[in-house]
Amino acid sequence: MNRKWYSGMASTEDWWAVWLGLIMFLASVSSLWGWDLTGWMAKTSTWVWGKFSIETALKPSGKVALHPAMSLLVTYLVFTTLTCIAAWAMKLNVKRFFAAWTMLFALTWVVWIIGQEAHFKVPVHEFTKHDLSWGLSLGGGFSYLLALVIGLIIGNFFKGTAAFLSEAAKPEWFIKTAIVFLGIKIGVMSMEAAGFVQELVLTGIAATFVAYMLFWPIVYTLARKGFKLSREASAVLSSGISICGVSAAIATAGAIRARPVIPVVVSILVVIFAMFELIILPGFYAAVAPSQPIVNGSALGLTVKTDGADAAAGAILDELMRANAQANGVVWKEGWILMASLTTKIWIDVFIGVWAFLLALVWVYKVERKPGQSRIGLSEIWHRFPKFVLGYLIVWFSYIALASSGPEIAKTLHTAATPVEGSMRTMMFMLTFLSIGTITDFSKLKGMGRLALLYAIALFGIIAPIAYGVAWIFHRGMMPPVL
Amino acid sequence: MQADLEVRLTHDGSRWIAHHPAFEARGNTLLELDQDVTRCLLDRQLFQQNNQVMVFMAFDYTCIPTWIRQYAYHYFNRYIRLDLKSPTQEAQ
Repeated sequence: MNRKWYSGMASTEDWWAVWLGLIMFLASVSSLWGWDLTGWMAKTSTWVWGKFSIETALKPSGKVALHPAMSLLVTYLVFTTLTCIAAWAMKLNVKRFFAAWTMLFALTWVVWIIGQEAHFKVPVHEFTKHDLSWGLSLGGGFSYLLALVIGLIIGNFFKGTAAFLSEAAKPEWFIKTAIVFLGIKIGVMSMEAAGFVQELVLTGIAATFVAYMLFWPIVYTLARKGFKLSREASAVLSSGISICGVSAAIATAGAIRARPVIPVVVSILVVIFAMFELIILPGFYAAVAPSQPIVNGSALGLTVKTDGADAAAGAILDELMRANAQANGVVWKEGWILMASLTTKIWIDVFIGVWAFLLALVWVYKVERKPGQSRIGLSEIWHRFPKFVLGYLIVWFSYIALASSGPEIAKTLHTAATPVEGSMRTMMFMLTFLSIGTITDFSKLKGMGRLALLYAIALFGIIAPIAYGVAWIFHRGMMPPVL
Repeated sequence: MQADLEVRLTHDGSRWIAHHPAFEARGNTLLELDQDVTRCLLDRQLFQQNNQVMVFMAFDYTCIPTWIRQYAYHYFNRYIRLDLKSPTQEAQ
């Protein structure tokens, strides 16, 4: 129960994303005192079929003298300890969590290493370097897709295993942690191209405003007039489809005091449709508009629901578009398309508390006026504020503040922070892909015919086209820096 | 906001329930729940009649499936002002 402003600080995934992110950021900051507390992190490397060895496929991220296998073991021990402490604090079943986490971690790394095989990954111009005669040139995105496919197979065909993994398969927790890690990356980007980041943030706010003001009323009207849904169901579904998925559905349902079953049903729909969005949209945008990377990223941020699916879709789009551009001789910097997708989404998340508060005022004082009127506390805004955004902002601005104090400090910090925003963040993305697949059970769509139809029409017939138009208006012509 | 009384709010699939160590009130709607809370307060004489009581209802998130908590962990809390008038007084 959220009674006080500090409720949930030790017991929710949202806050634990902040703690994990800050712990790793502080570990990288300790490099300013000469310590290396992040170099142990394992990272994958490109390998060629027939020449596999643990030494070629794995490496420690820093300059520490660790055997790659030892580096992976330390990575497992550090993250297992931290996540199990979090699981204990969140009152999860720690034994079940530990077992599920261990299996998830092992699967993630196996899939990640497989995805680094040169025939799948490397671009055409690197074929000779790896002695290849053919290749798919899918970039790092192949690991993500593979993790997603394996997750979906487990979630839909091995339901016992999916149930076993569910204690630790928490895509939203993993992606929120990864987003806090990304605070470092946007800090680096802000130092490199302050104008671009500023424009991205401002246009992201504008696009978000449009999303709230445009999508919601259209979908609500369609639900009420076209599908004759109740006011409660229409409002919750409209928020789920139009704003930010599950968190918006829950916030709206809470704001209008709906029976809890309504947002739960809508949340199931959101999670399943997010998978369709994640599978279809990145490839579609990359194929249809290969010369509009930031428009495509932002359109994803406006369209794909839930942070996990949006970040996952953004990461795939980033990989696909860069691989495509690379084939044409242009090498874009990694992460900028993903950042366009995330920046838009984070703004949408930030305002959900305010939106729900306004909706609650309208609902309680206008729609359902009752004697002995209940009051809406301002604390409701804080309780619905996504706390991981605080971690993201703290890391972003702290990085800029520290790195601005001198070139030597900036260089040391950048070296120590690279494993956090690089391999740690990618590992969290991989865990997200695997988990999001694992928890997606398409059979749950059975019996949801009318709601699912409304969701599909609203998403692909209204939200996606308008979102693309809005993204094009605000972001057209913006390009990631070229290497 | 200061409350005179705090209760835990849950939903069992069909009814809202307000839990308090001294009573348990139920209602199909929140309006019915508020009426039942008023009745319980009068029955147990926790407050004097004719008083206005500010009740804080904190929603217990355990009624939402655990897998949803990672996306959102707050449903709603509400403050409700109840007039403690017995049914006979209200009729007058």
